[in-house]
Amino acid sequence: MKIIEIKNVSKIYNESEVQVNAVNGVTLDFQEAEFAAIVGPSGSGKTTLLNLIGGLDNPTSGEIIIDGTNLAKLKSSELIDFRMRNIGFVFQAYNLIPVLTAKENVEFIMNLQSWSKKERDERTFELLKAVGLFERANSRPAKMSGGQQQRIAVARALASRPKFVLADEPTANLDSKSASTLLEIMEKLNHEEKITFIFSTHDARVVKMAHRVITLEDGKVVSDDVRE
Amino acid sequence: MKNYKIAWRNLWRNKRRTIITVASVFFAVFFALLMRSLQLGSYDHMFRNVIESYTGYLQVQNEDFKDNPTVDNVFAFSPEISETILKDKNVSDAVPRFESFALASSGSLTKGVLVMGIDPEKESLLSNVKERLVKYKLTEKTIENLKKSELPETVKSKLDLFKGESYSSGGILQLDLGIRNADSSALMPIIRKEASFSNGYISSGNKEVLIGYRLAKYLELNIGDTLVLIGQGYHGTTAAGKFRISGIVRMPTSDIDNKIVYLPVDVCQELYGAPGMLTSLALCIKDNSDKKINRMMQSIGKEMPSPLRMIEWREMNALLINQMESDNKSGGIMIAILYLVIAFGIFGTVLMMTIERKREFGVLVAIGMQKSKLAAIVSLEMIYIGLLGILSGIAVAFPAIIIGQYNPIRLAGEYAKVYESYGMEPVMPFMPVDYYFLWQSVIVALIVGIAIIYPVRKIYKMQLVNSLKA
Ligand SMILES: Nc1ncnc2c1ncn2[C@@H]1O[C@H](COP(=O)(O)OP(=O)(O)O)[C@@H](O)[C@H]1O
Ligand SMILES: [Mg+2]
Repeated sequence: MKIIEIKNVSKIYNESEVQVNAVNGVTLDFQEAEFAAIVGPSGSGKTTLLNLIGGLDNPTSGEIIIDGTNLAKLKSSELIDFRMRNIGFVFQAYNLIPVLTAKENVEFIMNLQSWSKKERDERTFELLKAVGLFERANSRPAKMSGGQQQRIAVARALASRPKFVLADEPTANLDSKSASTLLEIMEKLNHEEKITFIFSTHDARVVKMAHRVITLEDGKVVSDDVRE
Repeated sequence: MKNYKIAWRNLWRNKRRTIITVASVFFAVFFALLMRSLQLGSYDHMFRNVIESYTGYLQVQNEDFKDNPTVDNVFAFSPEISETILKDKNVSDAVPRFESFALASSGSLTKGVLVMGIDPEKESLLSNVKERLVKYKLTEKTIENLKKSELPETVKSKLDLFKGESYSSGGILQLDLGIRNADSSALMPIIRKEASFSNGYISSGNKEVLIGYRLAKYLELNIGDTLVLIGQGYHGTTAAGKFRISGIVRMPTSDIDNKIVYLPVDVCQELYGAPGMLTSLALCIKDNSDKKINRMMQSIGKEMPSPLRMIEWREMNALLINQMESDNKSGGIMIAILYLVIAFGIFGTVLMMTIERKREFGVLVAIGMQKSKLAAIVSLEMIYIGLLGILSGIAVAFPAIIIGQYNPIRLAGEYAKVYESYGMEPVMPFMPVDYYFLWQSVIVALIVGIAIIYPVRKIYKMQLVNSLKA
């Protein structure tokens, strides 16, 4: 089932003298339970494309339809709610709310969605176990390593069972061992929970683990390979 | 997790900054409250002194007297008036006065003077003229004798500085000679014995007067000498009379001291050819609350025959009230500056906090927190800072003021002298806890309210993509 449709989307930045086509006429679809990497050199438009899919930015032209909803049709507060219900985010670093413990961070979106305490606790412990940080439940982010923080961020992104998770270079600040641990966890959860993961990277080892690799160059999709 | 809880935790992320900001609010509130309490307290103290020892809270006057205080605007004092007034349960007595101007002369010297006809006995219910009588005088002879006594050299050396001075209270004499309270019981009796000055008072029916110390000096008059008063009497008559000086009084302000002449009210009426007339009748009242005074203005005023009217302390002391109001304004400016400094401190904190947390705000909104919720959390943080500052400020100022109320600050030196000369206790009492406490909270709340605008605006105008890049 198609959950994301990107139809001829472009993003043009006019901020400096020269106009930049950060994303240039991209058309892509994503299905349920995909595990896709967006790769490409720095400046190729990976972040911009992920931001557009995540409704964090508006395209200059083209349409993004998520599970039948055209993002452009949503008012700004509706868009925030839409993200909260449908999209999980993992950013490059400093994802977590510093004053909340690991457990509270994972619960955060379920809280925004007013889940009951019982449901929250069950789901949180399940995820903390899945990311291997059950014993760190009461630690604050500052007390955890970068890799642990990213694993908590993945748990948070998945907590309320979104349609898909966007991760912009989630391993960029990690050493290679932490990076592969994170990717293994992401892959496992993608498999178990049937939730689509779309992540950008320029780390070759990370790319190897993806089931689908979309390559960008100058804002254009230059290849889209599915591997089994 | 509830907003208030997240906000509370955020507050302690940067402990040092939060503590500094809270402490600055605390100090501002604490000092503002103390300053306010002292200022209001001393006004109150001064007011009570002026009103309770001079004008009284209420007077009966001819309705034209205030604007045109001449002998012609007097009123006839009848037993009915007295009866009507004393009928009010809140009135304990009434003090008659006849106040006018005259030319005083002695030999070839002449001076314009203020003539106060008073009831020698009743006057003590308000202004205590008897206490103003000079009790000690440092004449040449006195100083000579004192120098031979066993006074310490430091005191002796001061004596010449005050040659010819006279005092209506031992307190000021003590202050002038620089004698500390601890030594007063040993030294003052010696001085009092040598310097004491005997004075007479005035009594009804006797053509005797009390005159100000400076006036006496100017006219080169002494006790037992004769003073001539000439002026305009009631309805164009001439007022003239000769009076024996029975006493010298020392008035607090040199202005009054230079021109005051007290004489018995009946003698004064006779001088001005206005028997039975008064310029004012001051009421001694028990409950001096505004409510009561207003009620009395109405009820007694209604029964006063024309052209009499009631006049209250605020109208009689308009000048003093004016002065206090302008003094009050400068106190207000001080407090405003204090709060301005604090406001900048708070704005600085808010500014830094907003800049530092730009990315965090971005992440929160990206993952689905509504901007209104985020704004509420950030506002709560500021409100906590304000509350902590206000509450701790009040918590410390409150007992300090209560203590100050029962142990007022004692003034020393020049200040004490000024107070003493007015016949006031030389203290700065604190104003009991009152509405001014509320005001400090309102001001801090206002500052915090303004400070909140900045982060809230930033949150609502946030460009997500930019915030996330930060
Ligand atoms: N806010 C912006 N204003 C102007 N140009 C931008 C902005 N964001 C990105 N760009 C430009 O768009 C292009 C794509 O950037 P980006 O999506 O960040 O690439 P990547 O994530 O692949 O490194 C780059 O040339 C970058 O300079
Ligand atoms: Mg990027």
